[in-house]
Amino acid sequence: MESNDVIQCARLSHTYPNGVQALLNIDLTIQRGEYVAFVGQNGSGKTTLVKHFNGLLKPTEGTVIVDGFETKPLKVSALSCRVGYVFQNPDDMLFCSSVAEEIAYGPKMLGQPPEKIQQVVEHVLAELGLEELCEMHPFALSLGDRQRVAVACALSLNPEIFVFDEPTTGQDYFGGESIMHLIDQLHAAGKTVIFITHDMPLVAEHARRVIVMNQGQIALDGPPQEVFQHSVLLRSLSLRSPQVTRLAQNLGLSKRTILSVKEMREWLENEYLPAPQAARGIVH
Amino acid sequence: MINLNQTAKNSPLYRLDGRSKLIGILAIFILAIVFSHPFYVLALLVIVMLVWWIARLPFQIIVDILKVFFVIALIILLVQVFFYPGKINLVRLSDPIKFIGFNGYLTLDGIGFGIAMVLRLFVIMVSAPLLVMTTPLPDLMVALVKLKVPYRFAFIMTTALSLLPSIQSRSNLIQQAQLCRGVTDFDSGKLWDRLRGTAGLLVPLILGSFRDSQTLDVAMSSRAFGAPGRRTFLIESHFSLLDDLVLGLSALLLIGGVTLRLLGLGIL
Amino acid sequence: MEPIVIFNQVTFCYPHTERPAIEEISFSINVGEFVALIGPTGAGKSTLCYCFNGVVPRLFNGSMAGMVTVAGLDSYQNDIPILAEHVGLVVQNARTQLFNVTVLQEVAFGCENLGLPRRVIQERIAEALDFVGLTGFEDREPATLSGGQQQRVAIACVLAMNPDVLILDEPTSELDPIGSEQVMEVIARLNKELNKTIFLVTHDMEFVATYATRVLVLNHGRLVEDNSPEIVFSQASLLKEARIRPPQVCEVMSDLREQGYRINQIPITLESTVRALQELRDGI
Repeated sequence: MESNDVIQCARLSHTYPNGVQALLNIDLTIQRGEYVAFVGQNGSGKTTLVKHFNGLLKPTEGTVIVDGFETKPLKVSALSCRVGYVFQNPDDMLFCSSVAEEIAYGPKMLGQPPEKIQQVVEHVLAELGLEELCEMHPFALSLGDRQRVAVACALSLNPEIFVFDEPTTGQDYFGGESIMHLIDQLHAAGKTVIFITHDMPLVAEHARRVIVMNQGQIALDGPPQEVFQHSVLLRSLSLRSPQVTRLAQNLGLSKRTILSVKEMREWLENEYLPAPQAARGIVH
Repeated sequence: MINLNQTAKNSPLYRLDGRSKLIGILAIFILAIVFSHPFYVLALLVIVMLVWWIARLPFQIIVDILKVFFVIALIILLVQVFFYPGKINLVRLSDPIKFIGFNGYLTLDGIGFGIAMVLRLFVIMVSAPLLVMTTPLPDLMVALVKLKVPYRFAFIMTTALSLLPSIQSRSNLIQQAQLCRGVTDFDSGKLWDRLRGTAGLLVPLILGSFRDSQTLDVAMSSRAFGAPGRRTFLIESHFSLLDDLVLGLSALLLIGGVTLRLLGLGIL
Repeated sequence: MEPIVIFNQVTFCYPHTERPAIEEISFSINVGEFVALIGPTGAGKSTLCYCFNGVVPRLFNGSMAGMVTVAGLDSYQNDIPILAEHVGLVVQNARTQLFNVTVLQEVAFGCENLGLPRRVIQERIAEALDFVGLTGFEDREPATLSGGQQQRVAIACVLAMNPDVLILDEPTSELDPIGSEQVMEVIARLNKELNKTIFLVTHDMEFVATYATRVLVLNHGRLVEDNSPEIVFSQASLLKEARIRPPQVCEVMSDLREQGYRINQIPITLESTVRALQELRDGI
């Protein structure tokens, strides 16, 4: 095993107690520092797969190795120092009377010494720009700030790998951008970042690797430029590429995939359209 | 956890009208309260077990109830042994402790009363599924309304029951989220940590459930809940011969039992 | 013809808050319109939705000024059950608004409350389930359905009461792509086939651009714009202020216009953008 592999799934299958087989023979490797998005319909297995990365779910067949350790015999709390899992709704976990207390809770539960906890809390507050809010009651904060606190709680255990379960669902555009900016920063700092989402433009604009799940198996796995080229397959899975991607494809561009508004504009200006002056001239 | 949204459709009791089942269960409850002699309560339990057998419900449920009930039963038994003013002394345990009324002896009737208490509670706990698991919640609601229970009240009772699974799944989600942030376990560790752990479960659970209940309030009202005038019930329920039989038997049982009691029997 | 909905200087303040949740809202809606309400999180969109059928102010003890008239009825003078015959409300969380044991009971609930005859209820249920594509689901337990199916049941519940106006508060925010598609398709047909007046709160700008005939923009409790989608989506600074991202094609075309390309009306849908770009390229 190369030391660069942080997550390895080998012949991973998972069947729920009610008999539903959610994952079929998955082989997957994620390397240190990757920025991975998992997409797919509900029931495709994406959440089931990702929950194996921190031991919330254990394989019914096959193995999952995280940071060199097999997950099967380990408790979730043991893996929480390696994999920080941030759920969609921060209100499902916040309950302390101050932000600082929330951040300290995890390390305290893991039995870390008080001086170290104090250090960690200060560091995390600074990292996430939460210093001013440290004495505030989490419930008094806006949704965006509560999300930051949830991320702070995960960060307090100093994991190398982060998992975000639908980080932007239920928020407006700017709220989503704010949390994605935070996630981008984590990635820039060298963390391995994994997120699950239904938001395709988000995937196109942030992820470096996209894994499309369907019926318990991996249907597509590659950089966004490649994955979004498979428009027919995506359509058959009822997944929609970003509007600009579809726009480019409708204009006949097949050699490459446009992923963002900026890319679209550049391509239009440089390759598709004549120069503006000329266009203006002809219109007369 | 018992999912009250599922009913045992293969049970013979399923065919009965909800009203006759309600009255039957009520008769059992009344007798369980009226009798305090362990032999009489035991006889009542035997009758309930017979009905259980006729109902063809899975026995596993009784086992599950026993598991939950075991510790409580033990406590009740011990309490009665020490507090019941018994007369038939068996074994001397210690000096009398006046202020709790303990006369110092282990008494036969103390034990008897303790056993009767445990059995009475058990009868009640075990007969409830006979109603609840063989009657779909909408039918139960219609039965309650036809028995002149106000609609709002019947609605609250049955809807509360049907919402238990969603509280359970929310609780699971919260548990998972807490595990991910470093909470080691909810079943082990120091007492103080486990208490804190419970707060970590209860606070999000209660708040989340409260928010959900507000949404539910809006949704229900928007669909004219509480509209004045006569409410239609889609579910129709009619009495059959079987229901008359059940009513007859329940009446017999109740009258017979109360008569025995009035004659001074059935108590210690 | 009289507008079916009239808001006249409506202001509502939740108890123990200083600022009103919505302030001096005035607009009117005609029968058959498809109105979209967009705005940032916390703008007061849900509060506004609750005004249509009297939930605000009756269920939330706050102070209300102004008047809401629906189908000629004053929402303050008439009880919610009376307004419920003209206005149906579907909220964001699919699961929470369903509380009956079977789909049949769920869809029947509203009609039962109104005291309609049994035969009429059965007919309405059959029609409603047929319209949303869930015939055959009568005995299913709502909790076992997918998110998209749950929202369609919620729509059927409201549809069975035969309202003139349907209010949908972010019905697809929490759904996966296939669920969103199913629900949006039903909403579009409600307007097109049944001529129901639709008032939809959403963050899906692509859908708004395709189906809405009118867009209202709410920010900080105030109505800052009320116009056609074409005009609303071309106002870049207004949208930025309201934390809204217009459809990506609008962004592209706005950028091109700034670069000097002659674009009179910013197209807002994929199809119209393709046409406009082809015309620009061909120098038409």
